[in-house]
Amino acid sequence: MISSPRSKEKPLGRIALEDVTVRFSKAPALEDVTIEVEPGERLAVIGASGAGKTTLFRVLTRSVALTSGRIAVGGRDLYTLSKKELKGVRRRVGTIYQAYNLVPQLPAGINVALGEVGGMGSLKTLRTFLAGPEGALAKRIEETLERVGLSGRARTRTADLSGGQQQRVAVARLLVQRPELILADEPFAAVDPVTTERVTDTLFELNDEGATLLVNLHDVNIARRFPRIIALREGRPVFDGSPELLTEEKLSRIYAGDPYGTAAEPDPETQYDVRRHVEGSARLVEGRDGISAH
Amino acid sequence: MASPPTEHPGRMGGAIPRFSWKTALAVLVVLGLTGWSFAGTKFDLVELFTSTRPIEKFISGMFPPDLSAATLRTTAIGLLETFQMSFLGALIGAIAAFPLAALATAEAATVGSSRRERLLRTVPYRLSRFVLNIFRSIPDILWALVFVIAVGLGPFPGTLALAVHSAGILGKLYSETLEAVPVRPVEALRATGASPLQSFLFGRLPQAMSGFTSLTLYQWECNIRSATVLGLVGAGGIGQQIIISMNLFDYPKVATLVGATIIVVLLVDRFSAAVRKRLVY
Ligand SMILES: Nc1ncnc2c1ncn2[C@@H]1O[C@H](COP(=O)(O)OP(=O)(O)OP(=O)(O)O)[C@@H](O)[C@H]1O
Ligand SMILES: [Mg+2]
Repeated sequence: MISSPRSKEKPLGRIALEDVTVRFSKAPALEDVTIEVEPGERLAVIGASGAGKTTLFRVLTRSVALTSGRIAVGGRDLYTLSKKELKGVRRRVGTIYQAYNLVPQLPAGINVALGEVGGMGSLKTLRTFLAGPEGALAKRIEETLERVGLSGRARTRTADLSGGQQQRVAVARLLVQRPELILADEPFAAVDPVTTERVTDTLFELNDEGATLLVNLHDVNIARRFPRIIALREGRPVFDGSPELLTEEKLSRIYAGDPYGTAAEPDPETQYDVRRHVEGSARLVEGRDGISAH
Repeated sequence: MASPPTEHPGRMGGAIPRFSWKTALAVLVVLGLTGWSFAGTKFDLVELFTSTRPIEKFISGMFPPDLSAATLRTTAIGLLETFQMSFLGALIGAIAAFPLAALATAEAATVGSSRRERLLRTVPYRLSRFVLNIFRSIPDILWALVFVIAVGLGPFPGTLALAVHSAGILGKLYSETLEAVPVRPVEALRATGASPLQSFLFGRLPQAMSGFTSLTLYQWECNIRSATVLGLVGAGGIGQQIIISMNLFDYPKVATLVGATIIVVLLVDRFSAAVRKRLVY
């Protein structure tokens, strides 16, 4: 088994948001959000475009400033941790975003290695920068790439891979990192149905092995495969419960006012019209609801 | 979803700026400056075309150009020296620019860092920006004067001048490239615990790299042009030969030197442009 949970360190523990508010200019991106997530939970976050889903994920790695409220990770306030402690927490958080979080100019293998970079000392960092990963890490990269169906592509420049392949590289990076908390922000927005299945399976496997899994989804049908769903609307949680409780009526209220319609009924015409072969990393228009693949 | 901010009703207007007191004032200022500068520089087209000064003699004296072996040799040596100066100047400039640019690149994500940490980060940032500004805003010909005084006449002070000025320009352009890179991969790295140095090495730098090569080539191109005039202050290169021949009223030789310079500058321009075109990705 490639991924075994880290044993030495104290686990991250439960995540608790208390009255978290994040305001960028005037309208809040998150408002009075109080959520608790137990270790090992499997959780989907849904909501219309601009509802604050991405912001919710970003506060969990202290990547945006809080306007008010508190976030506790394992009982400790995330926003008052020292630099070193913060690094320790971040190293155990794995992220996988739409298609933007890989460095397109680097070979796929290096992008996978970046899952480990937080744990490297200066010397190893420089060696990896100049000569690439070596030894055990290099072997692990090959293995994980094989596990996501990209064996032998370690040297391919990431920008030259398709959108779906790039997303698999991002998954491979997660596998190398072996995080305790996985934040997946619309991981299926750019990928084909097969990759979607494969990525979902891998994320669920990691979750079975103990990682807490938070996935931000536009596709309610995939969200229904999660035992717990949280819905945001204009920065506030408006639903928190199991999928059976998520009725059509509640859904339409969650997505009300979104001109692109609800994600529950994707327009079959546009469903597969994601331009996934456009060059470069700017292939996605953000916030296009309902076009994520099934 | 928040509703979009409401605008004034009415026509949308074209792409040119609409009338406002600000634009009217700007137009007035430009007109005023124009008149004032015409007067100050004694700008006079009539004078240019009716002048009885020996410009005609100068131009007709250039023909036929001096193509003797000795002159051609001087020309070749001068051009080679110019080339070497420009190349070394760009190379040394690029090497010096790189660390300065890295320090002069603002790291966006400083969420939750203390006041002291932010201060610690600002000091090298401000300092390298300051150094780069000095390097860049003093023209290379002034740098050449300074170095001629410091180390004597010849191509060496010229090369130093080009290196310092190139470092200033490249440093600024490099850091702008580094800052303009898509931030999401960089942020993603930071969010998984990478240090600022690590996210710089693996996030920013690879994305900016192809831009660096092209900028450096372009700076070399500019250096070739600069290197031809640095000789006017005794800092080596073909310019030095040109000024010597001018002072000796040897206009046919001046013609050869200037003609050869133009050809070489054009060739380097073409070559560098072709290479840069291939680099764009
Ligand atoms: N860095 C920022 N600066 C200013 N406003 C921001 C910033 N990031 C997000 N916002 C605003 O905060 C609100 C919530 O944004 P967020 O990205 O969290 O939405 P989202 O639910 O992820 O949307 P989508 O489904 O389209 O990705 C939006 O109105 C957005 O414009
Ligand atoms: Mg989002």
